[in-house]
Amino acid sequence: MRAAEIENLTVAINGREILKDINLHLEEGRFLGIVGPNGSGKTTILRAIIGIIKPTSGSVKIFETSPIGAINKNIFGYLPQSQKIEINFPARAIDVVLMGIYSRLGLFRWPSRKDITIAGEMLSMIGMSGYENEPFGNLSGGQQQRVSIARALINNPKLLILDEPSTGIDVVGQEDFYHLLKGLQKKLNLTIIMVSHDIGTVTSYVDEIACLNKILHYHGSPVGALNDAVIKELYGKHVDIMMHTELCEKCERLHSKQRH
Amino acid sequence: MFEIFSYGFMQRALLTGMALSIFCGIISVFIVLRRVAFLGSGISHAAFGGVSIGFLLGINPLLAAFVYSIVVAFGIEQISSRGRLAEDTAIGIFFSSSMALGIVLIGLSSSYNIDLFGYLFGSILAITNEDAMTALLTTLFLTAVIFVIMKELYFITFNEELAFVSGIKIRLIKSVFLLSMAIAIVVGIKLVGIILISALLVIPGAAAQMLTKRFHRMVFLSCLISLFSTISGIAISYRFNLAPGGSIVLMLSLIFFIAFFYKTRLKI
Repeated sequence: MRAAEIENLTVAINGREILKDINLHLEEGRFLGIVGPNGSGKTTILRAIIGIIKPTSGSVKIFETSPIGAINKNIFGYLPQSQKIEINFPARAIDVVLMGIYSRLGLFRWPSRKDITIAGEMLSMIGMSGYENEPFGNLSGGQQQRVSIARALINNPKLLILDEPSTGIDVVGQEDFYHLLKGLQKKLNLTIIMVSHDIGTVTSYVDEIACLNKILHYHGSPVGALNDAVIKELYGKHVDIMMHTELCEKCERLHSKQRH
Repeated sequence: MFEIFSYGFMQRALLTGMALSIFCGIISVFIVLRRVAFLGSGISHAAFGGVSIGFLLGINPLLAAFVYSIVVAFGIEQISSRGRLAEDTAIGIFFSSSMALGIVLIGLSSSYNIDLFGYLFGSILAITNEDAMTALLTTLFLTAVIFVIMKELYFITFNEELAFVSGIKIRLIKSVFLLSMAIAIVVGIKLVGIILISALLVIPGAAAQMLTKRFHRMVFLSCLISLFSTISGIAISYRFNLAPGGSIVLMLSLIFFIAFFYKTRLKI
């Protein structure tokens, strides 16, 4: 089944075109990375996919239904860009995970003991057992992201959407996080769409990459995206890409190889 | 001391105060966590415009204030959510222009015996039986409503976008929240007044946040602090012949500072 089907999508905000005529299809079970410079419309395309922004023209279909339909079927697991949680916000890690099932519980009902046990299992699955009662605001950026993944997964979503998940996490933490995602993709047969500005790191984990800067410059295999012409079109000038992958040996600069 | 309960006006003040303070205790948690304290004081000051319209048109000033506050609350929300104006700017404009409208209209209205001071700082002697019953019923009803949507309100407060994507009806929940704020303000006008009501909307939650990092405990503590301050404030004002509205708010502030220093000392 097609996880996402974006046809002729144009989004204009206050008269300014942010996305223009985007066509993008994604099959179920694939891991798609969306990259592009700042202000290229990466977050906007995610917001159109999850139905927060309505297309000016064109359409978005998620598992053969509208984004709002997909919300009602609990298809999405979503990690927004940096969460800006106040350090004193009264929520423990386990409370945050449980938020994932709130809409399923319906009004007035709070999570049961059984729900709390399941949330605890989710935390241990992503390597955060022992942190159940820790205030969310006290956790590091990377730990908060892991807890958020548990929250996103507790409702068994089909499509996981991540907006710059590596912001505020150090490089080692980032790699661990991407490994975790890759593992979850296989284990749970998840479709993943992840936005990132870090083209070098993303390339080594995703199955497909989409290079976006108002229009879609490239969609295909990650290696193809490292072509100089694509990078130049995307970022407007020549950029050295740092790779962290088995594709290149010991994290060498790739651009000289790609040139030939 | 207990003769305080034998006076009708004191019974009405205590009844209104207790109902209002439990309700304010709950919503103050969300006002503090959503960081909309300024919205609370903006709407309450704007209510003054509504009161004066009521006088001018010869309708119940509190009813007029209620309608006017709701219009202002949703007006601020609409303007700022469309991104044309920052929320605090929108509040600043509505706040001051409503106060200006209020004082101009009161100057125009023919009745000269308006208890302006009472509307601004509360006057528990003016609480009628009808006022007390209305306050009790509306706050009881709204407390029940907030309890029904509390989990959703908590989620929206944590992250609105997340709540939306997971299927929470955020518009509905936010509207109920705004409506609750407007009602709390109008109910509080006679007890503590337009200027002081924002204290009840902000301080209980702020003090409770100093004492716990668990949500349910924060709600409970906030209600307790609010209730205690209201009852003791009214009692102290009776005993020492002080302004009741001011006594309640000073009591709240005292508890807040105790909680604040308790927390900062624990950190050292």
